[in-house]
Amino acid sequence: MERRDFLPYLLLLPAILYLLGFIGYPLIQAFYLAFTKDGALSLETFRRAISDYYFWDALKNTLLFGAVIVPIQLALAVLLALFMNRTFKGRDLGIYALIIPLTISDVAAGLIWFSMLSPYGFVNKILINLGITDAPIYFFGYQFRAREFFVIVLAEIWRATSIVFVIILAGLQMISKEYIEAAEVFGAGYWTRLRHIVLPMLKPSIQSALIIRTLFAMQIFGIVLILAGRDIPVLAAEGFRQMVDLKDPGVASIYALIIAAISLVLAGLYVKFLKAEYLEVGER
Amino acid sequence: MKRLFGLLLAGIVVFAVVASGCISPGGETKVTVTFLSTQLNPPEERAFVQEELLKGFTDETGIDVNFVPIAYTDLITRLEGEQQTGKVTIDVIGDLHGGLDYMAAKGWLEDLGGMPKLEGRTFINTLEKYSYIRGQKVYVPWMSATYVMVVNKDAFKYLPEGLTEEDVMKGTEKWTYDALLQWAKNLKEATGQPQLGFPAGPKGLWHRFLHGYIYPSYTGYQAKKFNSPEAVEMWNYMKGLWPYVHPSSTVWDAMADPLLKGEVMIAWDHTARIKNAIETKPDQFVVVPVPRGPKGRGFIVVIAGLAIPKNAPNKEEAWKLIDYLTRPETQVKVLEKVGFFPTVEEASGKLPEGPLKILAEGVQAQASTEDALIAIIPNLGEKGGQFTSLYREAFERIVLKNEDPQAVLNELGPQMEQIFQEVGIPMP
Repeated sequence: MERRDFLPYLLLLPAILYLLGFIGYPLIQAFYLAFTKDGALSLETFRRAISDYYFWDALKNTLLFGAVIVPIQLALAVLLALFMNRTFKGRDLGIYALIIPLTISDVAAGLIWFSMLSPYGFVNKILINLGITDAPIYFFGYQFRAREFFVIVLAEIWRATSIVFVIILAGLQMISKEYIEAAEVFGAGYWTRLRHIVLPMLKPSIQSALIIRTLFAMQIFGIVLILAGRDIPVLAAEGFRQMVDLKDPGVASIYALIIAAISLVLAGLYVKFLKAEYLEVGER
Repeated sequence: MKRLFGLLLAGIVVFAVVASGCISPGGETKVTVTFLSTQLNPPEERAFVQEELLKGFTDETGIDVNFVPIAYTDLITRLEGEQQTGKVTIDVIGDLHGGLDYMAAKGWLEDLGGMPKLEGRTFINTLEKYSYIRGQKVYVPWMSATYVMVVNKDAFKYLPEGLTEEDVMKGTEKWTYDALLQWAKNLKEATGQPQLGFPAGPKGLWHRFLHGYIYPSYTGYQAKKFNSPEAVEMWNYMKGLWPYVHPSSTVWDAMADPLLKGEVMIAWDHTARIKNAIETKPDQFVVVPVPRGPKGRGFIVVIAGLAIPKNAPNKEEAWKLIDYLTRPETQVKVLEKVGFFPTVEEASGKLPEGPLKILAEGVQAQASTEDALIAIIPNLGEKGGQFTSLYREAFERIVLKNEDPQAVLNELGPQMEQIFQEVGIPMP
């Protein structure tokens, strides 16, 4: 056997070691913590987790956040990317401006929105000064969970649409001009080109953007904690509470595994239903 | 050659012995006191203790102090090991009442009853009383903390009939939870907004209010009557109070900001978490005792004490350190830097005018109310989180979700009992 044959494996080795060490081992440990008791297989921890008063609410809210936030972000990002893909003056500046929220952590973003929308924040001050309302509108508090939900969605869209936007824009720029020009020659209008060329060719980008965004949506935590406290329980926050406040690593592991399982299933669905069509030269 | 090597070796050994301090040439040996503390562990507090507080002690006595910040569970493990092997290295322990109680019960601590008197200070009566456990002087009260109410002076304009500003400031019989409800109602009607606030956010200390303030005030106990007719009465009161509580309370973790922004006029919180409001606007706020309920005025006192383990290597020097740390001047310094309150009465006379004095006076007023029902946070170790989350769950379900109080308490009561059974301590 020639030495060259080992090379690919050698090159993969660091990545494999990394995966084993930082993902494989914790994963095995999480399973161990979640499904054993005194060294024997047991479902007791699992039962304890699902009988927790906040469990089903947390599961429901997490899925709801994902279902509301991700589609809006995708639609918005595609629109923005299509717009920014033209050449016009100030385009670069526009792109930078759109990417700025990407640099802000979710907790910081939460704090910004919290102080803006608090009863004495500037949004309420503007509304009162303009005479639109005479008393501050409350956005935060248990009685206003619907508004808290709305504010969280708003803040997440503001903060995390840019990551989707960047991926989609990069995808758009990879589409060869030749296809578009060929279509134009045959008289295809903007909508036809969009439907039959641009969007199908964007599928790989849309797929990766969706996977990334959905994974993050399932882990939603900091921004909820800042804007809604525990008024709206979510899986990641409840897992954290089980670990830190209640010192129950088993139940915390179950929360983590549930987040992982949902993410895997959703990512699998994206891969299945958004079968990417690679039209790049040389691919077929 | 061999002889030369031998000489060299002997020289190294002699040097090592002298340098290590076993035999000091001439001067006296320098003692190092090992001080383990579960308190003052955050980096900035640690820096204050090492660079300012203990330096003063070393300058004065020539005794070095090795300050070791440590977590409670680590402290227990180490102390247990040292007591079992008989190789004790710890001289002084600084910990909360519950932890010291546990160590004393295990027989790891020296009875301090026979130590020389600490001159020039009078320990606050209640704290002194708590430091005697099972007939033994377990620790010397070192620092204390509590949770109080802060009132924006403007709120006094809307006091309910029959209640005066002085009643509130001094914590008289008339300053009750019912009076608070009436006051909160007046405030909402007059200003259009709810003006009472609590730190009921996830990182807020709201659970302390529930188990250490309102529960004892209505039932006489923190947990013993968790599920009782008195508790149901208390929850019904909370349901009545909540419409006058600022709705954002469930998101707030600390009350200094809402007070400063003018979102609420009356707030309850830990002294350390409202300190900033009083420091920023000392003319605007006063600190007052909490209201009383049918069974008395329940409030939490957090007591940190200093103890000496059995067979400590430097007992005499350890006592000198305890003497230094409990002097009124030292205690004032601690209050100024880290916000823990003094345990000796003389300290309040040494406080400068200003925000800290406002705080200290409020704390003192609360501690000296005649109907005081002092609650000490039970030492439940890892179960502490479960204990407090039961109160929070009860609150959320009864007050926020409007579930039937009796039904919720029937469901959670056994869980509460189980926690205390598992830990093996009586319900407070």
